[in-house]
Amino acid sequence: MVIVKRKELTLAERLYLPEILRGLSITLRKMFVKRATRQYPEEPLVTTEVTRGQPRLAVNTDGTVRCVSCGMCEAACPAYAITIDGHETERPIEREPERFEIDMLRCILCGFCEEACPKEAIWMSDELELADYTRGALVYDLEKLKRPVSALQPRIDYIKKINDRWRTSSSTS
Amino acid sequence: MTKITVDGRELEADPKKPLIAACHEHGVDVPHYCYHAGLTPVGSCRMCQVEVEEGGRPARVAAACRTPVSEGMVVNTAGERAHAARRECLEFLLKNHPLDCPICDKAGECKLQDYSYAEGQAEGHSAEPRRKLEKRKDLGDVIVLDQERCILCSRCVRFFEEVTGQAQLCIAGRGAHSWVDSYGGRPLHGNYQGNIADLCPVGALTLKQFRFQARVWNLRKRASTCGECSRGCAISVEVLRQGEVKRIRPRYDADVNRWWMCDHGRFAFEGATLEGRLAGARARGYAGLEDVPVDDAVATVRDAYATHAKHVFVASPWLTVEEGAALAALARGLGAELLLVSPPESALKDDLLHTGDPGPNRRGLTELGCAARDAAGCREALAGAETATLVGERVVDLVGREELAALPAQVRLFVLDTKPFEAPAVRVALGVPDWVERSGHWVNVDGHRGPIAAARPAPAGVRPTLQLLGELGAAAAAEGGAR
Repeated sequence: MVIVKRKELTLAERLYLPEILRGLSITLRKMFVKRATRQYPEEPLVTTEVTRGQPRLAVNTDGTVRCVSCGMCEAACPAYAITIDGHETERPIEREPERFEIDMLRCILCGFCEEACPKEAIWMSDELELADYTRGALVYDLEKLKRPVSALQPRIDYIKKINDRWRTSSSTS
Repeated sequence: MTKITVDGRELEADPKKPLIAACHEHGVDVPHYCYHAGLTPVGSCRMCQVEVEEGGRPARVAAACRTPVSEGMVVNTAGERAHAARRECLEFLLKNHPLDCPICDKAGECKLQDYSYAEGQAEGHSAEPRRKLEKRKDLGDVIVLDQERCILCSRCVRFFEEVTGQAQLCIAGRGAHSWVDSYGGRPLHGNYQGNIADLCPVGALTLKQFRFQARVWNLRKRASTCGECSRGCAISVEVLRQGEVKRIRPRYDADVNRWWMCDHGRFAFEGATLEGRLAGARARGYAGLEDVPVDDAVATVRDAYATHAKHVFVASPWLTVEEGAALAALARGLGAELLLVSPPESALKDDLLHTGDPGPNRRGLTELGCAARDAAGCREALAGAETATLVGERVVDLVGREELAALPAQVRLFVLDTKPFEAPAVRVALGVPDWVERSGHWVNVDGHRGPIAAARPAPAGVRPTLQLLGELGAAAAAEGGAR
């Protein structure tokens, strides 16, 4: 058996009214503070370069995908959301993805793919909204994942900055 | 045998073999690129350097592939000096290596990656630009050469000189300006070109057919046996995502194929595709062959066995020993004639591996009592039969697709094959698994029992051949008992 010892109330607390007034004063003050509630979806979410949204594939200015389908993101993905098949191209970069699918229902937005990518091809975009009528439509293919580099540039710059800071601080040579 | 000490362990070494072979045989890993147990050691990569102490002299660093073992030799593979020597060699090897691992098909099974990681050689000191060579040099129908990735280990050159006995590649140029090339730029020829892609320790030689098909760590590998000739080379069947077979590579088997296999067997998996397969069962109804439940089809065949007298069974040489035994028991129970369709001799016969007999289990099945006949002989026996059962993959093609189609409709033809077959004589067609979807054993031309293993599941609705034969045989036994 547990015996709960009641706290001794002070005189002010026992008088009841002062405490009520104190509570009401907090309510009154909060009425003039800026509201934290956002009127989503009329008011869109605020995103910054730190936002880790859905992964997207960067497309160079000449229209070619940066991805060479090396499979690093596929291997790093803890949710097994990524499936890649490559094929040969005539470009100096000999391979590009023929099929690149991310199952957005499996994706947990962890950003491992972005970290694993050796070709700076996959980035966590600022796109967060995900809704459709079928499950199949949420398996995004190559065309749905492509984004021009310019759209991903803030994130690219941010990650490079982070990586540079890490490199200079831990460098021993 | 010579007694040596490697990393503090006393080993028995064969004095005819180099030191590295003794280390590898006893499970001590010595890094190497140019050394291969099946080829003459040349000592060109210098990756196998270890500290060797012999004859009371102080320890020296020596290449293990060119050092013969001597009595009382003390070897230290992990010594600081050996490690430093290996690391420096690796730096030179990586000097001109393009580091295009994300694109390279060898990534994941590349010795350069493995040893860079093991030896800790992450950064080079060279400020010189990497040399530019041809990235996509076409070497015939099978191989593509990436000269930039090549580390000049000369394994491919030695393979052609020593194993096939026909030199086709050479190291052209001198010193740092060398490169691998074919004589006169001629394309490679012969049935053993694919082996140099396996031999290449880096991604310089790649198979055209496997190029960019899959990342190697996504392949599911199963130890199996090649079915393209009666040699039965030990192979590894590699399947991508439980679907199509992407690659076949030889496995080491001292008694059969050692490290090699022929291109004919290597690319044979293209026939073992999931497309155009016969899944489930088809039986003759009023409107020709119709899809029916497998159990119904089996019952139809059982009825035919019970009501007719003259039975002929034709086995495909791709049946395993286990399936052959079940078929032989079934034939014995019915008092049937059991034949093995014998394919014509292949023109690929050579003195290295290919036997020229395209049936992998001819010996195993003949030992079980199948009488080998050629296609014409089988057809002759079929024409006089009341029920005829063809069992095993490719059996329809081997007996002759057109000739079987011309068979009179009085012959009740039951076909257990992987591909659909429509002909007036066909009463029931049952889908069976392919050789990459079954497990069992084949007996090769020398009596060596080679395992075959299921590398992927059979298409939905396909029952194992052994189960189907068992179901047919159980019925036959029951009929025999009732009589």
